[in-house]
Amino acid sequence: MILDLRTKFFFSVNISGWAIVQMFEAGATRSEVLAASANWGAGNDDHPAINAFIDQLLAEQLLEPASGTAAARSDVAVTAWTPPLLSKHKEPLQRIMVSAFDPGLPLAE
Amino acid sequence: MSASAAPSSQNRQSVYRCGPVRLVIDFDESEFADCLNPLLSQYDAPWDTAANTIHVLVQHSDCPADFSEVSGSYLTLQRLRVDLIDQRLVAIGPLGSRMDFDLNLGRARILVPTCSDRAGQIEEVEQQFVLLLARAWAQSGWTPLHAGSLVPPGQHRCILLCAPSGSGKTTLTSALLRRGWKTLGDDKTLLRMQNGTTCARALAHRFHLHPEAARWFPEARNLSDWPRYSRWTDKRVVQIEAIWPGRLLVESIPGGLVQVERSSEEFPLTVVPLNTTETFNVLLRQIVVPGEASHARPLVNCAAQTASRLRGARVRVGHNAFLRPQFAEELEKALLSLLA
Repeated sequence: MILDLRTKFFFSVNISGWAIVQMFEAGATRSEVLAASANWGAGNDDHPAINAFIDQLLAEQLLEPASGTAAARSDVAVTAWTPPLLSKHKEPLQRIMVSAFDPGLPLAE
Repeated sequence: MSASAAPSSQNRQSVYRCGPVRLVIDFDESEFADCLNPLLSQYDAPWDTAANTIHVLVQHSDCPADFSEVSGSYLTLQRLRVDLIDQRLVAIGPLGSRMDFDLNLGRARILVPTCSDRAGQIEEVEQQFVLLLARAWAQSGWTPLHAGSLVPPGQHRCILLCAPSGSGKTTLTSALLRRGWKTLGDDKTLLRMQNGTTCARALAHRFHLHPEAARWFPEARNLSDWPRYSRWTDKRVVQIEAIWPGRLLVESIPGGLVQVERSSEEFPLTVVPLNTTETFNVLLRQIVVPGEASHARPLVNCAAQTASRLRGARVRVGHNAFLRPQFAEELEKALLSLLA
């Protein structure tokens, strides 16, 4: 699950998608992610799905281009590869809350 | 909770135990100490663990704080905007109160200006304290959850009751307390991951019960005699032990979750199972998630790990359901199935 703290929308990701997100969190590049995916069992015919997943992360601003280099994570692993999936939930979390303990708006009694 | 107060002319110090947090508050106006006492004394569930102490100074200020100084990037509440600036929570309300809470030092200062809307101003300062406590609980490793809970007779696992205020969490809880079930409370719970399981702890053992509930539960007559919860609702603050003795617990392990909904339909009870994602969704909506990733992450993690261990259901309670003799039995059966 990914929660966008700016928009309060959340997203479900499958195991392969989560591994890719963790790679990017550590500063991996697109080509490093493609290479890691191959190690996890992805074939060449999975590249369009991986690229579409990355493009979706960019479109939702969950990922933004950065300059410089960072050490990509080597501890991320996927035991059973499936094409990565990101699915946006319809309803975001509340943006304005009653109190710091109560996120909901009270219903009329 | 324990509270002590030692008035000396205008200055006064009060000490409150609020679950895992101890508040030491110095007021420069004793009137404020009196006004805040109902809020801060409600956290009356016993805690025997060491407390994280927070020192708070509440002072009068000559001029109101500038509401536009904060953007609400950390939290936007109905009565406050909150930013996190250099490990300090800065919260300002539209009536000009300002809290500056140093998270590293565990010290807060609340400045309260002169204001013609005194009742509104007190509510604003109350919200400053709720914010302070919610962060202090989270810093102590607990996740504040706006949910009630029910534990069946003879069991130790609880069902979390999730819904916005006014949806009937307390009424539903009351319907089962009178059948021997127990509870941690009707809307304030703390969660913590311990050795791979979630522990739920009680914060407040007082219910907020609408006087109308006396129609359904004859033993709860005279509800109108209890103090009013706030000027915005008819609900009363009720000591649950006075009505249903022996029903309070301090700790439990969540095993189920119910999303409570009120319905105008005549069907007394509708139960729809929730999958894990839906259960997580419902649970997370009962947690205030701030806009700072390092503060949000432990709260969301706790919700995700807890939800993965819960069996969830949406329970829709129909109009006048509590008047039907067989309703409580059907409800009991539906809830027990979540812990089976």
